Order: sequence, then C-alpha cells, then structure tokens
Amino acid sequence: MYIRNYYRRFAAVSLVFILFFLLCVARLIFIQFFRSNYLTGIANKQHNLYVELEPRRGTIYDANFHPQAFNIAADSVYASPGEIADKDKELIIRKLAPVLQLNYAYLKDRLYRKKSFIWLARKITPQQAGAIKAIDLRGIGLIKESKRSYPNGYLASHVIGFAGLDNTGLEGLELHYDKFLKGEPGWALFLRDARQKKLGLWDKMALPRDGYDLVLTIDGVIQYIAERELDRAFKTNHAKGASIVVIDPHTGAILALANRPTFDLNEYKSASKDDMRGRAITDLFEPGSVFKIVTASAALEEKKVSEEQKFFCENGSYAFAGHVLHDHRPHGWLTFTEVIEQSSNIGTCKVAQLLGADQLYRYIKLFGFGTKSGIDLPGEISGSIKEPRFWSKTSITAVPMGQEVGATALQLASAISAIANGGQLMKPYVVREVRDRYTESIKIFSPILVSKVMSLDTAARVRKILIGAVEEGTGKLARIEGISVAGKTGTAQKLEPNGAYSHNKFVASFIGFAPAEDPKIAIAIVIDEPHPYYFGGVVSAPVFKNVASDVLKYLKTKEPLMLSEKD
Amino acid sequence: MRLSKFLSLTTFITLFCLLYVYQQTEIFRLAYIGEKKAVYFADSLDKNTFLRYNIEKSASLVRIGNKVFQARDYQMPDTYRLVRLARPLENLKLAQVKYKQENLFSRLFGIKRQAEAKTINP
Repeated sequence: MYIRNYYRRFAAVSLVFILFFLLCVARLIFIQFFRSNYLTGIANKQHNLYVELEPRRGTIYDANFHPQAFNIAADSVYASPGEIADKDKELIIRKLAPVLQLNYAYLKDRLYRKKSFIWLARKITPQQAGAIKAIDLRGIGLIKESKRSYPNGYLASHVIGFAGLDNTGLEGLELHYDKFLKGEPGWALFLRDARQKKLGLWDKMALPRDGYDLVLTIDGVIQYIAERELDRAFKTNHAKGASIVVIDPHTGAILALANRPTFDLNEYKSASKDDMRGRAITDLFEPGSVFKIVTASAALEEKKVSEEQKFFCENGSYAFAGHVLHDHRPHGWLTFTEVIEQSSNIGTCKVAQLLGADQLYRYIKLFGFGTKSGIDLPGEISGSIKEPRFWSKTSITAVPMGQEVGATALQLASAISAIANGGQLMKPYVVREVRDRYTESIKIFSPILVSKVMSLDTAARVRKILIGAVEEGTGKLARIEGISVAGKTGTAQKLEPNGAYSHNKFVASFIGFAPAEDPKIAIAIVIDEPHPYYFGGVVSAPVFKNVASDVLKYLKTKEPLMLSEKD
Repeated sequence: MRLSKFLSLTTFITLFCLLYVYQQTEIFRLAYIGEKKAVYFADSLDKNTFLRYNIEKSASLVRIGNKVFQARDYQMPDTYRLVRLARPLENLKLAQVKYKQENLFSRLFGIKRQAEAKTINP
C-alpha cells in the first residue's frame, strides 16, 4: 500500500517536472524563433548608443589665407521638463532668464511642455555657458555644438554670407557653395555601460567627411581699403546706398566687393533685409554717362568715328523727336575725344546716330549688359536692355548715355575691365579654389573669357580717351599723383514712381582702372542718392582715387623683389 | 573519462574564462580612461579654436583700423604712412644732473674717460 502510493506520488511529481520542462522548452523555442528580433532590438537599445557625427564645416579663406569664416565650439542649453518638479520650474525660469537674456514667457512656455527634451537656447556664448554650469540646475543641461563665426565682422559680409543655426548656408558664398562647405555627416554605434553612460568603444562607425575649404579671390586688405573709403563716402554724402567692386581686369577675379548699408555677420539676425542686400549684383539702376564707354568703344571699333572728328553739340540744347536733350554745360564744336571727356550727351547721341541702334545693341550685349555675368554669388540679376525693335523714337538718344538701360555695379566693373584687358571681357568670380582640410585641391577656378568685345587697338584708343576724361574732363578728382588713371564719371537721374526723371535723386558713379598703361585694378563705384553733392565726378571719383592709390601701393608690396643684374 | 583528464580540462576552461573576463574588464577600464581623455582633448581643441578665433578677431583689419582711427595721437601724414606721435609725459621735472668731479690723478691715469661715448641721437 505504502509502496504503491510512493510510485503514484513519484509519477505525479515527475509529470509536473516534465510538464514544466516541456513548458520551458516551448517558451524558449517561442522566444528564440518568434521574439528574438524584438528582444535583440531592446537589448541593442540598452547597450548601444547611436550618435550622429557632425562634419566640420569648411573654412572660408581670403586670398592671403586669412580665415573669414570658421566654426568654433558653442554650448546649447536644453531642458528635460519631465525631470523638473513643477514647484522648481518657477525658480529655474527666474535664474535662467537673466543669464540667457530670454523673457519669462518664452521660458515658461518651454519648461511647461510635456516633453522629455527641449531646446532653450542654441549656441550661447562661453560666458553664458559658464554661468549656467555655475548655477547647476536639475533638468537643465548643455550640449556641445559648433557655431559659425566670422572674425572680421562686417568685412565682405555680402560676399561671404552666413550659415544658420544648423550650419546650413543661408546667404552669399555660404549658400552658393553649401554643398562643398557642409561635408557629409557620419554615425557611430557606441557601447553603453549599465548606467547608460557612453563608452569610448564603438560597435560600428562611419566617419564623417569634413566640408571643403574655400579660398577666395577677395583680398582682405583690398577689401578693407574699399570698405573704409566706401563707408566714408556713404556717410559724408548721406547716401541711401553705395557699392564698390574692385576687379583684376586680366582675370575677372573680384578683389573686393562691398555694399552700404551693411551688417555684422555674427549678428545677422538683427540685420534688416535692406542691410543684407548685395546691391552690387542685385540692384538695377540706369548707369548714366559711365555707359558712354560702350557707345565710344562701338563707334571706334566699327570705324564710324575718329578721335579728331568734330561734332556740333548745339550749345547745350538739342531737339530730337519731339524731345529736347540737354548737356550739363553748353558746348559748341567738340572732337569725339572731347565729347567723351566732357561727357556731352548731345555729342554722344550724334555718335550713336552714326552707329545705329542695331550696332549699339550688339555692343551693349557684348559688354555683358542685360545678361547675368555668371558670378558665383546667389541673387545676381541680369539687368535690362530692350531689343532695338522695342525702342522708341527717342531711345537712340537715351540708350547711348545710359538711360533706358538697367545695369548692376558688377556689370559696370566688368565692362571697364574689358577695356583695361585689351577688349576681352572676363567672367567675374570670387572663389579661386576649393580644397580639403589637408590643402589638397578639389577644384580650381580659372579665368574664363566671355567675349571679345573689341580689338586691342580699339581698346587702346578708348583707354587714351578715358585717360583724357580724368586728366582734362569730368573725372579730375580721380587723378593720382604719379599714376595714370583712365575712367569715366556718371551722374544719372533716378526715375520717380510716376515714370518721370527726378530732379533731386541721383546715382553718382565712377568707373576706371589704374595704372592706365598697365592696368592692375579696375574699380566701379556707385553711390545712390548722395546729398547735397550728387555729381559722379565729385562724389565717386575721390573714392576711386583713395582706393586705387592705397591698393596699388599695397599690391606693390606683394610683388616679389627683383634684383638688378648688377646685384 | 579519467578524473585527471577531466580536472585538467576544467582547469583550462576556467583559466580561459578568467582570462576572457579579465580582458573584457580591461577593455572597459581603458574605454573609461579613453573617454575621459577624449573629453579633455575635445575641450582643448575647442579652446584652441576659440583662441584662434579671438586672435583672428583681434588681428582683423576692421578692428585695428577702427582703433587706429579712433585714437587721437595718430595722424596720417600721407595716405600710406602711419606714425604715432609720442606725447610728452606730464608733471615731469627737470632732473638735477650732478656730474662726478674727477681729480687730476683720475684724469691722467683713468681709463674710464676713453670708454665713455656721448650719444648724439638718442
């Protein structure tokens, strides 16, 4: 009886054990074959930390390899609202508001959101970061990011542009060359310990590719000289705006490009849209008398006139197609050279009549007007010039002296460069080279010939006339002692909203190059609505003189020392 | 299986396991050290970049130009030459210079006199 019971109990217990064992096996099979992916995922999340590796954004260097834009580390402040007790939030807001210079309502809105992570302020200053570390608040932390910084502030701000909070280019070269500058992000799966702390061990890793560096044609020193003089003229003449372009006429390389008003690249958020406008390439204006270089070049190239050919300038008043054309000073008989030197509208109009509308239009296009120059900056406009079939009866008197034509300061600089360069129009460019962080060239930008506007002989003849315009004509204030200068002044009336020409709003301009016999630089200066003086020869010509004289002295210091044969 | 064979196999496996655990512990210990050094390195690198930025900013022509043209004791005699005009210090009194009287003996036999030179262009 006793033994029988014993066997029965043994069998029962064994059965329970066997059943339990089978259950375990079944569960293990279920886990292994049906739940393994899910559970592996959870384990990986616990053991591994996915980190995106930010690439270094490329540096922008000027022609002398001085950095104009590069990244520095900056802390960003975040909050974990879930970790902060409601009673502590008020205290945190009161402590953070003065340090971060943020208002109470903004911080309150952020801290009372039901989120586990929220940004409070991005890329703060080291002083602010130090203050926050010192306060040491629970639920508030700092994360290192990189911030785009511009050591030269406003220098070449319209050229360089700026990058936003996420290091994406928003303006200027930062935008245009963003694909080169930004690089490619990498990633890594770092191991974590039991306390979820990141270890310096990674399971898998794809290294980021750093952004490429840009080397500009802009020379920091020339840019500074140009900005200094433009700023002075802008302020002294109480102008609405101003632009200057300094260009190497033989290559089309932009040595300096500046606009006023301007803005500090480090404070771009507080700049107005007007400050940020790159007027030299985005603003259209009627160029006025500086445009006479086109008429003069075309007439000489087409052999319609000679330098000594005389034109009667109607003593300052010339009726044509129901309109009366005036000169700023009455002239009688003037040679063609004198017409340009004295900037006679009537004389130029008569030259254009010899040339004809079609020929004149052809040369306007050859000089690059009405077409985008193709400069590697965003926002460039093409300007405007109507085809001759759309011209009115008076257009032949207006277009040759720069009316009914829309041009940019850059187009004017390119046009004068073409004369300085023996009649060859070069494509303007601001980036010389793209290279990696090990100074290996990725892309080199070489000068590009756009068109052959005129022969070398014609260019030399126009150059001679333009020297006369500075020596004897309207551009006397651009003269530099010991250096020959070729240039042309322009004073254009602005159009009023009703379509009539204004009597108190002018655009004063000067275009020229120096030294005239061996041009090193070509400069275009445009000053919008100067007061009280408004003549190009009075307002813009002195800017040319100051910039050209300083730049030429500077360029001389860059030339290699030549030892004489005796030495 | 003989007992000796079993024991030696067990010892080998145990030692191997201990070695593996030790190796893993070392890897993690070095990882912690590496992590600390990486943070230190990153901090130094950040400081370096920040200092470089400050140097570039201080050496910027914009800043130098503004400083120079704001200062009153700078004048531009020519467009390319910049000179600093030294200001005389105020409240200075003319010093009473006493020259040491030399006796006849020292005048005749002293070598000091020969070594002295008067500067004309200070």
